[in-house]
This record gives sequence, structure tokens and C-alpha cells, in this order.
Amino acid sequence: MPPSLDLQNLPDADVVALAQEGREVAYRELIRRYERPVFSLVFRMVRDRATAEDLAQETFIKVLNNIEKYVPEFKFSSWLFKIANNLAIDHLRRRHVQTVSMDGAPDATSASQIEATSFELASHGESALEELEAKELGSAIERAIAALRPEYRSCIMLRHVEGRSYEEIAATLDLPLGTVKTYIHRARHELRKALEDAR
Amino acid sequence: MINRHLLPNEIDLLVDGDVGFGVAPLRAHVRQCPECQAKVDEARVIVDALEELPHFAPSSIFADRVMQQVHVFEPWHVAARNSVQKLVPRSVPARIAAGVMGIAATTVFAIASLWIGLRIDLLTVVSGSAIQRGREIVASALEGLVGAAFGPAALAVVRGMGTIGLLVATVILAVTATGAVMGVRRLATASSRRAGGL
Repeated sequence: MPPSLDLQNLPDADVVALAQEGREVAYRELIRRYERPVFSLVFRMVRDRATAEDLAQETFIKVLNNIEKYVPEFKFSSWLFKIANNLAIDHLRRRHVQTVSMDGAPDATSASQIEATSFELASHGESALEELEAKELGSAIERAIAALRPEYRSCIMLRHVEGRSYEEIAATLDLPLGTVKTYIHRARHELRKALEDAR
Repeated sequence: MINRHLLPNEIDLLVDGDVGFGVAPLRAHVRQCPECQAKVDEARVIVDALEELPHFAPSSIFADRVMQQVHVFEPWHVAARNSVQKLVPRSVPARIAAGVMGIAATTVFAIASLWIGLRIDLLTVVSGSAIQRGREIVASALEGLVGAAFGPAALAVVRGMGTIGLLVATVILAVTATGAVMGVRRLATASSRRAGGL
């Protein structure tokens, strides 16, 4: 079956079935469909373009290299978002540990101990990439999203940017439905407060 | 009609555009209550802002970078099907010709299989009778040997016992023959030693 033109009108499940038959065009079609949503979710989670690109890439590599294990009972996009979210959360946890150690050893109690065990990054001018990031994530709502807890952030992104139902979010993030509703409610509340404060 | 202000989760239901059975009274209340209407409007502003957020694009080489590290997996049955499909001609006349040739080849193969099957049957009968004949020859030779070694009386006993008797007699004969050969060898060895000692 030749052209990728036909694939564009097929539902995800059919494109995945073709990928499972070893058709490279189907792999590429899946990337084309979801590169932006996955990258956007990860970018808003980690707020660093290069890292987001690496994590989004890792997401697709993991999913596509295990495409034969996909079961159609679960939405393909939910599987993809689940892996992307897990990778982003893992990255944030690792970065949090690194940030703590940059600020000084956890057992440092006095100012001199903190100073002795901390280090500073060399200051550098704002690169073109950073400028782009500042432009992309610089609006009030983006800054308010960045201030949310990562769990709230992924829930609110999936709900309002990706248009997922509460049930889908619960399945994607392996969370109880009630927890998802609570997270989204709290996220909206915090966003409202943050935007009010910004005005 | 609800005579109290809406709870946060009830405001969420309205913001999410739920159309369930319990939503109508909430809507009715909001129409009558400016305070709850304001809360719903505030929540909607946030939701609208979120829903207008754009998707960001990764770099233009993103797909290529991913595909460099993806192993496109082709299951064996798909590979086999593809190989067969490659052999099928594209034009209709060629397909018809290939079909006719396929049917002819299948027919020839079926006839050949049938013929070989019949021959195998014949071969089985022939080999069965050959084995029977060989067994008779061996048995008669052994009987002759037993008769010559142990005499006609022993042969009559062996015949009376059937195949088992024949086997027992053969074993006794073999043991006796081996014993005799070993005895003769020992005698020969002893006499040669004696000759050497002289």
C-alpha cells in the first residue's frame, strides 16, 4: 500500500495496525500526528526546549519500538501521553535533586556549610533559544501554569489543551477519577489566583 | 431550584459543559444568582485561556531523529505475505496466466503425490513379503544348525517350544561355540608357550 496520503484519513488504531505490520510510513504518520501535542505537553512540563525535544524523542522511540505490544483497547494517544508524562515527571524529579545539591548539601545547617557545599553556574548571556523560550512561555497564563505542581500541570494540559475527558486523563496518568477532578479543580483555582495577582 | 450558592464542584460541572440530569437546576440557579454567575464566568475565563494555548512545534528534523533510533519491525507472516505479493503480476492477463499455471502445477503435483502414494503401498507389500521370506530363511538355517549341534531330539524339543525355543537354543549354541573357541585359543597359547620354553 503506497501513499501516506491514505494514512492521513485513517483512525489511529488502523495506522498503528499498519505500523505493527512493519510499514515505515505508518510510523512516520504517528509521529506527524502527535509530535506537536507530545512536545507541547513535555515543553510545558520541563520549560526547556532542548530537554523537551529529547524527552519527546525518547517518548516516541519507546512507543514505536514497542508498537507490537500495543493493545487497541487502550487509546494510542493515551499510551503516548502516559509515557511522555512519566518521562517528564522523572526528569523533574532528577532535576529537583540536582537543584537541591546546587543549593548546598541537604544536611548543611549553617550559612558557611551551605556556601561550602554549593556551587554556582557560570553566568552567560541569553541565547537565541532562551529568547525563543521566553517568548513562547512568557505569557501570564504560561507562567501561571509553570507555577503549578507537575501533577496539576499534566492534568490541566491534558484536559484543556488536548481536550481529554476526565476518564481518559485518569487512565493516562494512572490516577483515580476523583483525584483527577480534584487536581483539575485545584489547578484552575491556582491559575485564577495567579492571574488575579498578576493583574 | 437550588436555594444556596453553588459548590466548587458544581461550578466545575457548568464550566466543563456537562449536560447531565443534575445540571439543569444548577443552570437555573446561576441565572438567578449574580454571585454564582460571576464565579462561573471567572472559571470560564481561565478555561478559555487554557483552550487557546497553542501547540509548540519541535525542530524540523524531529521525525528523522526519532526514526533513526526506531527499529521497524516486520513480523514473519507479513514478510511472507509481501514476498508472495511481489510474485503476483500486476496486469490482469498476466495474473490470469499465472493462475492457470498455478492450477496446472497444483494438479500435476496432486497426481504425482497420488502416484507416489500408490507406489508406497506396493512397496510396503513387497518389503513385507521380503521380510517374511528372510525370517523363514534365518529360522530354517538356525534349525539346521541346532539339529546338527544337538541332534534331532533336541531339534524336536526346540520346534515344540516355537520361536522362544529357537532363540534359547541359538543362545546356548552361541555360548557353547564361544566357549569352544576360547578353549581352543587357550590350548593353542599354552602349547606355543610350552614350545617357546623348550
